[in-house]
Amino acid sequence: MRHSRNFGFGAIIIASVFGGLSVTCGSHQNQQQAELSPVANDGAAPMPGDTASDTPEDEASAAGTASADGSAPTTGLVLPGGDLPAPTLHRLTRSELTHSLQDLLGADVPIGQLEPDVSINGFSSIGASSVEVSPAGIDLHEQAVLAATGYVFADEARVQAQFGCTPASPSDSACSSRIVTQFGRRAFRRPLTEAEVARFTGLATSIGSADGSRLLTGVRYALAAILESPSFVYRVELGVPSAEDAGRLKYTGFEMASRLAGIFWDSVPDDTLLDAADAGALATPEGVRAQAERLIADSKAERSLVVFTRELFGTSHLDEAQKDDALFPTWRESLKDAMREELERRVLDMVFARKGDFLSLLDDRKTFVNDDLAQFYGLPVSGEPGFHAAEFPPESRRAGLLGAGAVLAGHALPQRNSPTARGKFVSEMLLCRSIPPPPNNVPPLPPQAGPEVTMRERLAVHRQSPVCAGCHSMMDPIGFGMEDFDSVGLYRTLEGTSPVDASGVLEGPGLDGTTFSGLAELGAALRRQPVVGPCLVSKLYSEVLGRRALQLDRSAIEQLAARFSDSQHRLDQLLLTLVTSDSFRFAEPKG
Amino acid sequence: MRSRPISRRAVLRGMLVGGVSVTVPLPRLAGMLNGNGTAYAQGAPLPVRFGTWFFGNGIIPDRWVPSSTGQADAWQLSEQLEPLAQVKPWLSVLTGLSIKVPNNSPHASHPCAALTGAQTGPGQVQSASIDQLIAPAISGDTAFPSGIHAALSNQTGATALGLAISYRGPNAANPPTYSPTALYQQLLGFTSDGTSRPVDPALLYRQSVLDAVAEDANALRQRLGAQDQLRLDHHLDGLHELQGRITRLAMPLSTGPLPNPDQLYPARGADGLISRERGQAFADLLVFALASDLSRVFSYMFTCAASHGDYADCGLANSSFHEDYGHRLSKSGLSAATRGFNTGVKYAMSNLADLLTKMKSVPDGNGTLLDNSCVYITSCTSESQTHSGNDYPLLVAGKAGGRLRSDQHVRLLDENVSKVPFTLLNALGGPTETFGRAEGSVSSGIAELLA
Repeated sequence: MRHSRNFGFGAIIIASVFGGLSVTCGSHQNQQQAELSPVANDGAAPMPGDTASDTPEDEASAAGTASADGSAPTTGLVLPGGDLPAPTLHRLTRSELTHSLQDLLGADVPIGQLEPDVSINGFSSIGASSVEVSPAGIDLHEQAVLAATGYVFADEARVQAQFGCTPASPSDSACSSRIVTQFGRRAFRRPLTEAEVARFTGLATSIGSADGSRLLTGVRYALAAILESPSFVYRVELGVPSAEDAGRLKYTGFEMASRLAGIFWDSVPDDTLLDAADAGALATPEGVRAQAERLIADSKAERSLVVFTRELFGTSHLDEAQKDDALFPTWRESLKDAMREELERRVLDMVFARKGDFLSLLDDRKTFVNDDLAQFYGLPVSGEPGFHAAEFPPESRRAGLLGAGAVLAGHALPQRNSPTARGKFVSEMLLCRSIPPPPNNVPPLPPQAGPEVTMRERLAVHRQSPVCAGCHSMMDPIGFGMEDFDSVGLYRTLEGTSPVDASGVLEGPGLDGTTFSGLAELGAALRRQPVVGPCLVSKLYSEVLGRRALQLDRSAIEQLAARFSDSQHRLDQLLLTLVTSDSFRFAEPKG
Repeated sequence: MRSRPISRRAVLRGMLVGGVSVTVPLPRLAGMLNGNGTAYAQGAPLPVRFGTWFFGNGIIPDRWVPSSTGQADAWQLSEQLEPLAQVKPWLSVLTGLSIKVPNNSPHASHPCAALTGAQTGPGQVQSASIDQLIAPAISGDTAFPSGIHAALSNQTGATALGLAISYRGPNAANPPTYSPTALYQQLLGFTSDGTSRPVDPALLYRQSVLDAVAEDANALRQRLGAQDQLRLDHHLDGLHELQGRITRLAMPLSTGPLPNPDQLYPARGADGLISRERGQAFADLLVFALASDLSRVFSYMFTCAASHGDYADCGLANSSFHEDYGHRLSKSGLSAATRGFNTGVKYAMSNLADLLTKMKSVPDGNGTLLDNSCVYITSCTSESQTHSGNDYPLLVAGKAGGRLRSDQHVRLLDENVSKVPFTLLNALGGPTETFGRAEGSVSSGIAELLA
């Protein structure tokens, strides 16, 4: 079924390809305007993007850039306008804090409650660039640090194992000094200054020599002080002007160590990386590449990819999903963890083990399941605990990551599907389209006629109403293509009493208008869309840099996308290219 | 450079030298009040308390707005407000007011305006919320100057404000706790059965650690741009607050037993679940904290803006409250969806009643905790299906130590919702000329709210 584009929104959509505008659905100011005939809004005056981050000035600059070239972006990738933000402190995410504490104090250290991350455009690393720590967050952090350090220092054997010595008597300042200095260098991601060494070793001594205390306790609290310090809690990457780069802000060697460790290991640098920084090796792209290759080869590199996978596919929706146990008797809460792990393992396998085409994950059939999940999917069980590789048979209608339970069950409602939610996820995260919020005063949908009315039929009114059509035409036709899988991610041929109609179409800027029927065909069709590769690149780019990708990044992103395509979409190569690029090594781009 | 609380550490060190603890009795024993019970014997006024209580997904105006206006016997509770019957004399129902900021983002623009008087900005919230504006004026030297922030449901909402209703400013939410047990553990350290106990030396060590941490913060601050300096300043404020709490841990209050959620409500359900018992566990703890003057400010998020939460506890299982009931999309049809939505609103009000009733039952000064408190109650929309900002749900509970009039329904057609928080800010926070920004800005309040 091909959705016909009319009412003048077509003109706006075409304009947005050249102008980099985000399409909006009708006025947000008042209901009056929303009721105007859509023909009157013929695209001559672009409506401001509703996402509050796009000011009218941003829209103008985006339009200006493209039309000045005289050419449309070949990828169809839409990027908002805006100025480059100055570098800011990056507050460690919960995941970074957890991994940092584990790397600094031992893998078995207890990790308490931590302040929640703020997600912007789906990524906590972007929120980290501006979020503050609340008073309650200060409390939680202190408690977590005290618990973690308390655990290690409750047992001299653990201290010995973690730090290589055990500070015994108050005169044993060599050990305590060494622990503080080495720990501090990793935690602050740079050598401690003399004042800092004095501050923390002084603390160890004064607490260590208090009545009823001992040096071990003093060292414990000195490390706690390091871990509570903003120099640990925030990644401080501000850049310094580089004379040989026309005074542009360039990240220092230690700042690069901090960035590389954050990006690849979701944690603090190790001593080798800090030594490389100290030796000046991270001042050049070649030096950065050498360390990056070492970091990515370490199994710790899986952590960052797990974070990226969860955020790109929105697994937080799965985490809080409720399902109707009467309608879905085979569903269990334990399937959520299994589905999340399935998704992560598929990505890790492609990037690190197979070193294959990342986009082939959109339609491939290899997966990883435990027996609970295998049984749920109707795959053979192994009889063993844990996860094993499996393959969906050729006749299966399930293929690609869109067929993963985490995606299907996460982007759905407790009792039924939401084609709009699934379509929104694909549009925003895989096609980089910005879907504004709904307009105000949305009239209620007509009451449901009966169980024989399908969601497709109920949602048809979205595309009949001009106020709603602009945005819903981007989402619903994609979501309909996944209607052959239900709200818990199982294949179905019936929706209530009606046969499932899973036909859909990929149309809009950067899309080739392919029609498809069902999830597997959708995955294959997506894989062929020119915008998909560049979109993935821009998502990774924004996550790595901790800020939205903007029009001014277009050239950098398109170069990365071209190399990504030339390398058969190797994501590990993409990461290596990205961290050696100008965008990552400088806080200010070339003019 | 921020000054460090040298005097606090000296106090602690002095205690440690002495080797014994100092137990401070609850400040509001009758013997410490003046003859009228309206002030401390030394003349200082009794503390007033403020809280915000928030529920997602709005109301059905026809069933929320009481049929008549006026005071006392002149008005009666509507159907959706009926659960609040026991606290009607402490209630002001404000109806007819409208959110004036444009509804750019349904379920975000409106609650943001109701809480902060401003539109959502690029980083979500642009301005501080009403509880954080009032807090500095009333918190005094309490253990939690920024307040205690708790929430019942941890499920997110559609195109909404995120999971916080209290903001110190842009990018500065006060994320709530979902765990009554965690709140209990945190409050426990401030309480004592009245017997002496030695001060834990760890308290002094923690203070010393925080002094060192503040030195780091001050050193880092000098290298930063303006936005980051502000972030560090606020970080330092948080460290300062924590040091205040640690000092108080060395001087626990002699109180009655702190209600233990795991003993009182063992079957209440996991953190983040919507259940009446979890709400009651939180109500116990918030009331305790307010009554013992550990905090004078709180925020409580029953459900977030546009919450997808599952209201199984009131019979609406396996559903998304926002979709199935707020937007009447339930498979069971429009009538069932409307009934369910109505049930959900009343269930929310029952939860609110639990808190307010407990506040009413605690003696405080010459009256009750509810007499000396002000609770501001609102939601993320009015009529849920249309995302309307007209006839907005607004309640004020409590008499704020005699500053507020109550037991009334006041209807103010098309007036700016901001007038309610403006009035409360003036009544509790001291004279203020304006509240809010742009369309949400007001410079006058609602006379009927004032005593």
